[in-house]
Amino acid sequence: MLKAAFDPVQLAIPFFVLAIILEILLGRFGKAKANYETRDTAMSLSMGFGSTVAGLLLGSVIFATTVWIWNHRIFTIPMTAIWAWVVLFLLEDLTYYWFHRLAHERRIWWASHVNHHTSTHYNLSTALRQTWTGGVAGTWLLWLPLTFLGFPPAMVAIQKGVSLVYQFWIHTEAIKRMPLWFEAVFNTPSHHRVHHARNARYLDANYAGILIIWDKMFGTFIPEVDEEPCSYGTVKNLGNFNILHNVFHEWVGIAKDVAASPRHALGYIFGPPGWSHDGSRDTSHTLKAKWRARVEAESGDQAGVGAP
Amino acid sequence: MDKALLIQLGGSITAVALLVAFAAWLGVARATPPLDAESARALLSLEFPDHKPDAVWIAADGAALIARDGALALVLYRRGDGYVARDLPWSTVAALKPTNGRLTLRLSDARPVFAVNDDAWPPKELA
Repeated sequence: MLKAAFDPVQLAIPFFVLAIILEILLGRFGKAKANYETRDTAMSLSMGFGSTVAGLLLGSVIFATTVWIWNHRIFTIPMTAIWAWVVLFLLEDLTYYWFHRLAHERRIWWASHVNHHTSTHYNLSTALRQTWTGGVAGTWLLWLPLTFLGFPPAMVAIQKGVSLVYQFWIHTEAIKRMPLWFEAVFNTPSHHRVHHARNARYLDANYAGILIIWDKMFGTFIPEVDEEPCSYGTVKNLGNFNILHNVFHEWVGIAKDVAASPRHALGYIFGPPGWSHDGSRDTSHTLKAKWRARVEAESGDQAGVGAP
Repeated sequence: MDKALLIQLGGSITAVALLVAFAAWLGVARATPPLDAESARALLSLEFPDHKPDAVWIAADGAALIARDGALALVLYRRGDGYVARDLPWSTVAALKPTNGRLTLRLSDARPVFAVNDDAWPPKELA
């Protein structure tokens, strides 16, 4: 009930390795779109390794907290019931959606999640570019209500692992579109490419884990359109391949901003990424507004051509 | 430390190194031909869509560019098989001093080096 009998992510590691090898081969022989830059790949895979090590450091604190919550649970939901797995699948995926949305829309959580988005490539190695500071950021707290409700910690851990494994294969340009019914319900490479894109029109969208329905329900779904290919990375791409800079740059940025303007600390910590007290920086919101203005100006120009 | 954990960590490091070597060996990075006037303009409009630079200077090796939009310098330099964009005051860029055909820019997270044909700076296109 407390410790999972198996870890889906650990079990999937050989599949991860084989899939990356296959994607590189497909890219090399022109059978699919796949680009791997050596230092970018090294960064992604090293981040994945470091994330595992970082997870070990805070693992006991997270486990102890989870056990404490479990000891104060409302119900005891049986791990052997199929209905329980179905309900958990939906609730865990909904939890992931809100975790992921917060991780993009609030700077303190963005600081721990941004490293997953710093690659200017979108390939299977990008999926392994995982955070080192998620434990410190406390995003794991969002899953505790499931345990409080009565889902055994082992069950929640397994479902979280299943979600992570699912999200591996969608980090690819090798698959253009899945069948329509699949695209309508599930998160897919196409939907997730939009999520990783830095084009203004695609910012802050498609936060789904497994089911894309949450984005459609909560108004954050944006489809990939062929006329605007995704450009990957962050709005302001990293200037170097330094792994420590990748891990900590946003944390350092928050610290510098808070030190420079302590009166506005809450805004710099909990405001959206790019927020500034004097409005001198761009947030996703302002970038999208500028993009819309450009599109409207261009369409106005085109309408004006040929007009008397 | 637990022996199984050590083996797991060692195996992971080896696997990472082998995968990186494999990707490097097969060479599937994006092509990055030297920038020319057309590709420089395209890159600028992608990275700085709200700016209309007056002039563009392309580094001698085609791996970077600096454009000027009034008092602002729009900088793009190659990193891996992509480009990094930064904007900074033109006065900062104009004050740089090239040595031995190299101009080094000090950014908060990088020190990109620009190849210049001679040590005259700023170039006449941007001055």
